[in-house]
Amino acid sequence: MPRNLIRIVFAVLAWAAGMAVVQAQTPFQAQSLAQAQPSAQGPKFALPEPFQASATRTGDGLAITWSIAPDAYLYREKFSIIAPETGALRAALPAGVSKDDPTFGLVEVYHDSVTATLPAAELARAGGADKLELSWQGCDEKLGVCYPPERRLLDLATLELTSPKTASIAALLATPVSAQLADTDETASEAAQAPAPAAKAVSSPAATQMTPAPGAENGAENGAGNGWMDGSLLAMLATFLGFGLLLTFTPCVLPMIPILSGMLLRSGKEIAPTRAFVLSTTYVLAMAAAYALLGVVAAWSGQNLQLALQTPWALGAMSLLFIALALSMFGLFDLQLPAALTNRITGRTSGLGGSLSGAAALGFTSALIVGPCVTPPLAGALLYVSQTGDAARGAAALFALGLGMGLPLIAWGTFGPRALPRSGPWMVRVKQAFGVVFLAIAIGMLARVIPPQVSMTLWALLAIGAGVFLGALGPAREGAASQLARTAGVAALIYGATLLIGAAGGAEDPLRPLGFLAGSPAAIAAEQAGAASSATPVTTPAALDAAIAAARTAGKPIVIDFTADWCTVCKEIDRTVFAAADVRSRMGATSFIRVDLTDYTDASRALMQRYGVVGPPTILFFDPRTGNELPALRSIGALDASDFLRRLDLAGA
Amino acid sequence: MSRIHSLAMSRIRSLAIASVAALVAGVVALPATSVRADEAAATRMIFHDPETPVSGNPRGDVTIVAFLDYNCPYCKKSAPELERLVREDGNIRVVYKDWPILTPASVHGARLALAAKRQGKYDLAHEALMGIPGRRNSEETMSGAIEAAGIDMGRLEKDMTRDKEKIDQLLQRNLAQADMIGLRGTPAYLIGPFKVESSLDHAAFKAAVADARARQAKK
Repeated sequence: MPRNLIRIVFAVLAWAAGMAVVQAQTPFQAQSLAQAQPSAQGPKFALPEPFQASATRTGDGLAITWSIAPDAYLYREKFSIIAPETGALRAALPAGVSKDDPTFGLVEVYHDSVTATLPAAELARAGGADKLELSWQGCDEKLGVCYPPERRLLDLATLELTSPKTASIAALLATPVSAQLADTDETASEAAQAPAPAAKAVSSPAATQMTPAPGAENGAENGAGNGWMDGSLLAMLATFLGFGLLLTFTPCVLPMIPILSGMLLRSGKEIAPTRAFVLSTTYVLAMAAAYALLGVVAAWSGQNLQLALQTPWALGAMSLLFIALALSMFGLFDLQLPAALTNRITGRTSGLGGSLSGAAALGFTSALIVGPCVTPPLAGALLYVSQTGDAARGAAALFALGLGMGLPLIAWGTFGPRALPRSGPWMVRVKQAFGVVFLAIAIGMLARVIPPQVSMTLWALLAIGAGVFLGALGPAREGAASQLARTAGVAALIYGATLLIGAAGGAEDPLRPLGFLAGSPAAIAAEQAGAASSATPVTTPAALDAAIAAARTAGKPIVIDFTADWCTVCKEIDRTVFAAADVRSRMGATSFIRVDLTDYTDASRALMQRYGVVGPPTILFFDPRTGNELPALRSIGALDASDFLRRLDLAGA
Repeated sequence: MSRIHSLAMSRIRSLAIASVAALVAGVVALPATSVRADEAAATRMIFHDPETPVSGNPRGDVTIVAFLDYNCPYCKKSAPELERLVREDGNIRVVYKDWPILTPASVHGARLALAAKRQGKYDLAHEALMGIPGRRNSEETMSGAIEAAGIDMGRLEKDMTRDKEKIDQLLQRNLAQADMIGLRGTPAYLIGPFKVESSLDHAAFKAAVADARARQAKK
């Protein structure tokens, strides 16, 4: 007995240490940034940009007109029109208004609008050029700010203005070679010697702390602006492996633990640790291979395979598999199927704990169907693959990710079951417990496609069944263990009963079965949806465009939430973030748009491709003035309320 | 022999139990932890980048982050007002983000000031550069102002050359952070929880800081 006590104490200490580590790693509480103008009215721009240029052909040459926002002005001296071979062209500009100011000096500026005319003769000096580079700069007097110089390329054929890929002033900064190599001395001296001519194109900034790369001009360079796929192959694989390890304790990998344990315990006898190791490794390798497959499919079809598999058929088939596994744990399975079949599934001898092919199949399907989990590294790799078509690199990265997620699983599989008692009645109990877990997983998967009332009822039946098995309704027995079991059983019975009542009463959330008692169904639905009830749900690109346009006129920061009914992490976010009181009050200062990906249609795929969204949950933040995304605020995967509020602050809401 | 064997086995068993317990602890506790290290770090860097100059009271209860350019006339009007308030208040922490976006010479000015930081003279250099009137100052004018302020130019040159890459990386980070929060022009200030995209005078700064304190007190 004392030895067990020591073990228990050791275990508790280990748990406490684990908790301490967890606490130490919670993200820093940055100060929140809400936009509020503390002084007089915050002026909003009448135009999305303070200066807008457009070009027209005149009878003699070209006219370029700038519309200038009220209170803003442009400097005459900062206008420039450059032809690539020839150099600066001289346009005729009207007289401006003179400003003389001790800080400014004497300047000539334009308000409201100004037109520069390029006579045909001057235009001819451009030679055969098809594009001219325009540049201008100005400030806003009322706000008291100055804007960086703007550059546009004017296509002489179409008279369209586009942003150039070439230099901004930031190009003058030396761009260090690569994030991974930046620390070596050789690179430092190399970069110091490299000249930085003013017209050098900006390559991706190596600011290692920032993802993704900022600014519209860099968008083409970095694609989705993800830094995940940069660097040498080895370094990238190591990064993905590391992140996979970090993901072990998230809902992405959680369901795998009982699946793996259940598979290993099915035999009922103790498995040699080497065998357990081999089985676990097979499981994990198959899991990693499934992730790599995601990459290959993404290269081939641009789609996220995990999402495409969230169909009722696939989910139903997987649920059946788990129900079958559960039944085998309960011992029913062996009685009802011919021995040949059971042997094939459970392994040739029961001591083997199942066959290798069974483990592989289970690992493969678990990764694809049980846990569709969108996380930043997964999103980064999939986007990279779908944009560059480089399936090999993407698949390798995803394999490393799956391997990282599975390494602790291998440890668990090898050591975990050994910690449990060898045999006897306890073993049966453990198998039954895992049977219940498998049933729970099956119901969880079915819940994505069946009506909520039905899934509530299934959960109720499971809870009541568990209660009965734990002896809630049986004869009283002596011994602390059985009394504890009875307590748990009674609790499960009561919970199951409330679930049944809830299902009958119309509640939809198994965690709040009696919520319908709080008020009218409409009110509860509104309360349960939280901020989402004020959101405009869209499913097609046209609807999203309309919603964004409407939101831009409202002038509030735009929050776009890609979500789906079958996305369990999205439900978690709804519960913990969007239903929170402080988030709801802050959301009033935003325009909230929900994109519903539940029916994975062509329209959904078009939307996802347009914004480089790999899957739900993904939350985008848009600037109402420009209608563009604020890329570095994008959130992929799970997030908590304080993180969301921080992003709201930085978006200016 | 068997006794040693069973001792070893029980030790292995204890280890296994302990590691299993820790694993379970992680499983139970960590779903709440977010795994977006990069993005959380990026936000944190706006306020706590170790290489960014900090002025005022490092333990002040309100932080003002100032995105400024050394050829920005409105910044030059606004800067003395801010400095006056920081001196009077005594409890404000100021983070200076050199944001050279207006002219090529601005980049040189930012590099000068950040190199001066290596001598502990950032504030002096900052004031000197902000004190040059006008918005079209050349690199020579800026260097001249720094020299006139009494900063050791020899040491400055050495620091600038030796730390060129680090300084430029910091400037890249500042640029990225400004883009991340959607700043369009200078000056721009983050005053406690508020984002202000305009220049302010002393009274407006004071009101903003008071509002920031009120907001923090409510939390």
